[in-house]
Amino acid sequence: MSAAPHSAGVPADACAAGTPLYGEILGFLYREAALLDNNEYGAWIELCAEDIHYVMPVRTTQVRARGPGFEQVSFFDENIHSLRTRVARLETGSAWAETPPSRTRHFLTNVLVQAGERPDEFAVAANFLVTRTRAEQAYQMFAGRREDLLRRVAPSEYRIARRRILVDQTVITSTNLSVLF
Amino acid sequence: MANERISGKASQPGMRLASGEDLEQIVRPAEGLISRRIFADPEVYERELEQIFGRAWFFIGHESEIPERGDIVARQCGVDPVILVRDQAGVVRAFLNSCRHRGMRLCRADRDHATALRCPYHGWTYSTSGELLAASSEHHYGPGELDKAQLGLIPVARLGSYRGLVFGSWDPAAPSLEEWLGDMRWYLDIIFGRTGEIEFVGVPQIWDVECSWKFATDNFTDNFHVYWTHQSLVELGMLPSDPDFASHGHMVTLDNGHILHFVQGPPMEAFQGLGLPKSLWPRFAEHLSPAQARIAQAHGYSAGTMWPNFHWLQLVTAGDTKSEPVGILNLRLEVPLSPTRTRMYSWFAIDKAAPAGYRKTSYETYVRCFGPSGIFDQDDMENWEECTAAARGPAAKRYALHHKMGLARPTDATWAGPGIAYADSYGEMTQRAWYAEWLRRMRQPAHAPTAVQRPRVTAAS
Repeated sequence: MSAAPHSAGVPADACAAGTPLYGEILGFLYREAALLDNNEYGAWIELCAEDIHYVMPVRTTQVRARGPGFEQVSFFDENIHSLRTRVARLETGSAWAETPPSRTRHFLTNVLVQAGERPDEFAVAANFLVTRTRAEQAYQMFAGRREDLLRRVAPSEYRIARRRILVDQTVITSTNLSVLF
Repeated sequence: MANERISGKASQPGMRLASGEDLEQIVRPAEGLISRRIFADPEVYERELEQIFGRAWFFIGHESEIPERGDIVARQCGVDPVILVRDQAGVVRAFLNSCRHRGMRLCRADRDHATALRCPYHGWTYSTSGELLAASSEHHYGPGELDKAQLGLIPVARLGSYRGLVFGSWDPAAPSLEEWLGDMRWYLDIIFGRTGEIEFVGVPQIWDVECSWKFATDNFTDNFHVYWTHQSLVELGMLPSDPDFASHGHMVTLDNGHILHFVQGPPMEAFQGLGLPKSLWPRFAEHLSPAQARIAQAHGYSAGTMWPNFHWLQLVTAGDTKSEPVGILNLRLEVPLSPTRTRMYSWFAIDKAAPAGYRKTSYETYVRCFGPSGIFDQDDMENWEECTAAARGPAAKRYALHHKMGLARPTDATWAGPGIAYADSYGEMTQRAWYAEWLRRMRQPAHAPTAVQRPRVTAAS
């Protein structure tokens, strides 16, 4: 997560854990996660900004000197239209990867909030663990770090303007990526 | 006949399975009967490892993935881990990714750049062309105990490259790459040479699926699943609502099990010329023969399998309901991890001559439609897993799958390319040809390949 050089009026300590702003953002993240876990994708997509960029880079194992291994090629590289298409597809009843649907839990921890470059934007990072099971299958798990840019549109109301999903696995040990993060 | 039960007594001792069945009796490609046993059976899998993965030719990587001297990617040849490297002289080489001393994995990154490879265990160090440069504590070896000239990295027994695609085989007696590809080269020219050169973009997406590798290979030459498996996209208007929409084309079977399709898309400009931008169409005539250029111009979709497990998918689709269709070139490889678990590789590739805007749109559309998150692929993996899960039990294994579509269909002599061609690309001729090669390989007498040989390397471009 990049530091925010232009705090634009929101001092760093106003974003710290325990502040009202931090609590408001945490509440938004939890509500959003509940929508995903409850298969309420129609309501979830309303939380995405029109200019959203939703991306999950492919990760490779690299020697230490070459950095964390996030590549230019991605598992997801989405805009609002492609996300809406994904949601509409899930609602057709013939998207077999999610019909019957997966059962997921989105766990979010280690939430850090920083002021963004605009006074209404916040860079929000969190660790995630997403568990998924379908039919009688064993749990499939995804862990990583999510880097969001959240835009405040009303008190306690935010839109997701950017989401970068930094998954820990280089080989996704899952049937597919038919769930959202 | 959907539940046709097949069984047969062993006729050759070597072909008899523990179940008492004879492989030749339960896999009858000419009749379209393929036993479910071969998809989840450890005994069959063990035989596949030796007979197929230890002996056939396998895709390792594309030369554009290692453009500079010292570039390395860690891959596999068959199921064995290999280092694919461009050495200091610019020659592309492939070695077992394992030190000659204690067998430690040498290259432990997915990609790297190095002038030499040093084993972390005892420090044995190799050049990028495989020579052992230094062992550990050399002065503690007595005379004749350390013959460094004989301790180079274990090369892939046969290595070759065609149109930048690097293939290897662990069988020193394998036919040459050119011989093995045979007439497939004519079609590879269309897919990989239509506008000049193709480049692979970045790294592959990799993911593990709980399925038999053969359900994936079967699927990549199956056109008539598209309307049904991808029904959600039909409902969204992203695929035509005519169940026959992907049938307007040809299927071709070639020697050595190679198979392919060329299919016309809807009568729209976006589906001409393999979905490439119109500005690139004049290049077909420059880079292809007239017959090849006509095929490239007239078709939108193509899928081909270089037997057994490497595929191209040349497709035209939109990535969402608001966008226009665009051409995509996707390369796929399945590497079995067990009878019922398979590692999938998916690459995006593009014409080097492609304009920047098309390059971006094609890439984004690929990510949205294919690979593990793809709105097409997601549902395919579901099928492969469920087909595999249902083939595990002793009762299921007594029954055949059904591969009879087009058994009596005549060949089409008007097709301009080499091979045996059939009009109407809904059919199971290509699957039957694939399984016939599988059976031929499984029936071959086992032989012990000779030990380490120096590689017959390809000269890099």
